[in-house]
Amino acid sequence: MMPAPIAVISEAGEPLGRALAVALARHGVAVAAISREGFEPEMDLIMSVRADVGAPQDAARAFTEIRKRFGAPTILINAAEVYPHRDILDETPDSFMATLRTNLGGAFNCCHEVLPAMVASGTGRIINVVTFADIQPAPFSAGYSVSKGSLRILTRSLVADLGERFPGIVINDWIPGSHAPRRGIADGIAPAVVAEWGARLALLQDPMISGLVFLRDRELQPAASWKRKLKDRVLGKRRALIHLV
Amino acid sequence: MTSGRTDPSQLEETNPVAIAANRHWDVIVIGAGLGGGMAGRRLAENGLSVLFVEKGPVGYPSEGHFIKDEPDDYLSRQMLGFWPAKVEASVDGGRPIRFFAPLGSGVGGTSVFYAAALERPERHDLENVGGLIHPTGGWPVGFDAFLPYLTQAADMLSVRGEADPLSDLPGPSLAAPALTQAEAKMFADLRGSGLHPYRAHEAIRRVADCEECLGRKCPRNCKMDGRSAGVQPALQTGNAHLLSDCSVEELIETSGSIAHLRVRSGGAEFMLSAKAVILAAGALHSPRLLLASKGRHAEGCGNSSGWVGRGLMFHLNELVAFWPSRGSSSPGATRCLSFRDFYTVQGYRLGLVQSMGVRADAGLTAAYLKSVLAQSAFHRVPGLGKFATATAMIAAKLLGNATVLVGLMEDLPYFGNRVGLHPEEPDSPKIEYRLSEELKHRRALFRRTIRRKLGRSRTLLLGLRPALNYGHPSGTLRFGSDPATSVLDADCKAHDLDNLFVADASFMPTSMGVNPSLVIAANALRVADIVAARLQAAAKKVQ
Repeated sequence: MMPAPIAVISEAGEPLGRALAVALARHGVAVAAISREGFEPEMDLIMSVRADVGAPQDAARAFTEIRKRFGAPTILINAAEVYPHRDILDETPDSFMATLRTNLGGAFNCCHEVLPAMVASGTGRIINVVTFADIQPAPFSAGYSVSKGSLRILTRSLVADLGERFPGIVINDWIPGSHAPRRGIADGIAPAVVAEWGARLALLQDPMISGLVFLRDRELQPAASWKRKLKDRVLGKRRALIHLV
Repeated sequence: MTSGRTDPSQLEETNPVAIAANRHWDVIVIGAGLGGGMAGRRLAENGLSVLFVEKGPVGYPSEGHFIKDEPDDYLSRQMLGFWPAKVEASVDGGRPIRFFAPLGSGVGGTSVFYAAALERPERHDLENVGGLIHPTGGWPVGFDAFLPYLTQAADMLSVRGEADPLSDLPGPSLAAPALTQAEAKMFADLRGSGLHPYRAHEAIRRVADCEECLGRKCPRNCKMDGRSAGVQPALQTGNAHLLSDCSVEELIETSGSIAHLRVRSGGAEFMLSAKAVILAAGALHSPRLLLASKGRHAEGCGNSSGWVGRGLMFHLNELVAFWPSRGSSSPGATRCLSFRDFYTVQGYRLGLVQSMGVRADAGLTAAYLKSVLAQSAFHRVPGLGKFATATAMIAAKLLGNATVLVGLMEDLPYFGNRVGLHPEEPDSPKIEYRLSEELKHRRALFRRTIRRKLGRSRTLLLGLRPALNYGHPSGTLRFGSDPATSVLDADCKAHDLDNLFVADASFMPTSMGVNPSLVIAANALRVADIVAARLQAAAKKVQ
C-alpha cells in the first residue's frame, strides 16, 4: 500500500518551483513549497514554508513544520538553487562555497530530513533538478556549474547507497530544460508545461526507472557506441525511451 | 557540553557493550543467524536473560537487496550484511582460490538471504534404516527424538508445502499457495515421467504483496528466517538484548568452563560473561573461534579430539535445465516443487531435487560461469570474464524457456576436509577440501539418474566439474558419543567444557540430502531446551 503522497519542493521562489507545486496539487498531492521569501499559496493543498535549506538547522525546522502539518514527505524535489554570474577571478572562497552550500548542501540537507521515514516505509521519491552545466560549464558561473555537477554525483551516490537495498525509493535526475522566464531566456517553454512533466515524473513510482536521467518530458539515454547498439539489437535489449507525456 | 572532557563513567553508561559487560547473563549467543536466533528466542521465551553478540549490523527492516560479490570492499560488505571477507579454498590440494561465499553477517545471518527451503530430512539421514547403513553409525540423537523439534521449527518458521508422497511423514501444517497453470503442467510432466513431485517446503508467509525474496532480504517480514522468526521475537520478550557490530575474538576458559568472552566493538575490547555460551557463528566461523582461543590449549579450545574444524562438508549442487513438454509454457523462476525419487539410488546416498527459484537469465548464468572459471585452471587467461558474459547471453537465449532444477547431493565427513585459521587474514576462513572417490562415484550416478529419469532430450546438465555449495557448510564441530572422534556430546555441549553449547550447522556429523536450515533450527530449539533445563536445575540447587 502506497501512503498518500506528500511532496516537498525546495525552491518555490522561482517560477518553475511555484508551477511544480501547483501541478502536483492538481494531481491531488499535498505540497509543501519551501522558499526563502515565502508566498501566498494559490491552492489549499499547498503550504508555503519559509526557510533557507542550505542552512541545516533552518532545513530541520522547515521539515518539522511540514511533518506537523502533512506527515512525513513521500516525494522530494530538490530545486533550490542560486545562480551567481561571477568571474572566477572575482570568486572568493566564501562566495564559491556559498553557492555550493545552497545548490548541493540544500539538496543533501533535504534528503537527510526525508530519508529516515522513506527508509522506514521502504518507499519514496527523490528528484534532483539538474542541468548540463557539469558537462559544459558556461563562462562566469563556476560556483553554479560545480554545484549542479556535484548534485548529479549526489544522485548517483544516493542510488549507489540506497538503490539495491531500498528499491522502493526511486531516485532520478531531471533536467527541465529552458523554461521562460528564466535567466533572460525569452523564448523558453512555459513553466506550467514544464511543471506538468516534473509532476508526472514525481508520481512515477516504478523501481525500474531509478537512476535514469530525464530531460524535459522524456528519458535521456546515455550515448552508446555502435558496438553497444549492435549488441543490444542482436540481444533484443533495445528499449524504448520512457516518455512522460 | 561545558568542558572539553567527557566523564568516563558517563561514557560507560551510553556504550551498550560496556553496559552488557557489567552483567552476568544467563546465556550469551554468539551469532544471531538462524541457529542463534531460534535458540535465543526459545531461551528468552523461557524467561532467561539472553545476549546476542553479532559481528554484523542490524540492518534496516525495509532493505531488500540481494547477496552479491559486489561491492568487494570489506566495510561496504559489512554494512550490507554480507560476510565481509573472502574465503580461501584449496580443493584437491590445488592452488588456493579466493572468492566470496554466499554467507551473511548480521542479524539473521545467512538466512536473511536464503531461499527459505525448509525440507525435512529422511530417517536414514540420521540413523541406520534396514540395509542402508549410516556412514557414522548414526547420529547420537535419533530421528524420533528430532521429530518434535522439526515440527516445532516448521511451525515457528511458518513452513508451508505438501507431504512427500514417497514418505509416510505428514506434510507441513500450512498448505502451499495455488499453482500457476505452467507450474501445474510441470507437475503433470514430471508425474508423467514416473516421478513423485510435491510442493516444496518453504518458509514464506505469502503476505498480500509478497515478492518471494529468494536470495535477498525480505522487506515485508514475510520470509521467515533467523531475523523474523528468531531474533525479533526474542527481543520482543524483553528478556533478550542484542549487541550488533561486535565480534567475539576469544573464548577464555578457566577450569573447564568458558569464563569470559573477549569481544571487540568500535575499536575497543570488552569482556562479557554468562552462565552458558551458545556458539552459533556458522560452520565456517564457530570452529575458527575455538581454534583462535588458545589460552589454555595450543590446539584450541574444546579440541582434545582434534576434530574442531574437521569433517567439513558442503552439498554438491547439480544444476540441470529442464524444458517443458512440447506445447506448454515454462513456469520460469519457480521454487514450487521438490522430489525425492533419487534420494537414494542402489543403496547410495544422493539427495533431493528442487526447482531453483532463480531465473536462468544472462546475469546469473554469467556469474555462475565466472565463478566456475575463477575456480578453474584458466583463471589467469585475460578476457575470460567477457567470454563468460557472451557465452551466458547466448545460453540465456537457449535456456530462456527452461526451468532450472538443482539436485542437492549429500557430502560425507572426512578428517582431512577442514576449515582453519588464515595466517594473515583473521576473517578469511581457510578451507582444505578433497573430493573423495566415493563422492565422484555418487555424483556420476546422480547425473546419470537425473538424465535418464528426466529424459535426455529435455535436460541439460549445466555443471562440468563438481560444484561445492559454499553456502551449505556443515560438520565442523560434529556431535557424537565418543569424545575421541567428536567435539560435542549428544546435547551439543562441548565434551571438554561444561557450559559451551553449539547451535549452528557445525554439529551435523553428516550433511543429509536436504537443505540444512530446518535441521539447524530444530536442533537450536533442542539445544535451547537443554540449556534452559540445566540452568533451571542449577538455580534450584542453589536455592
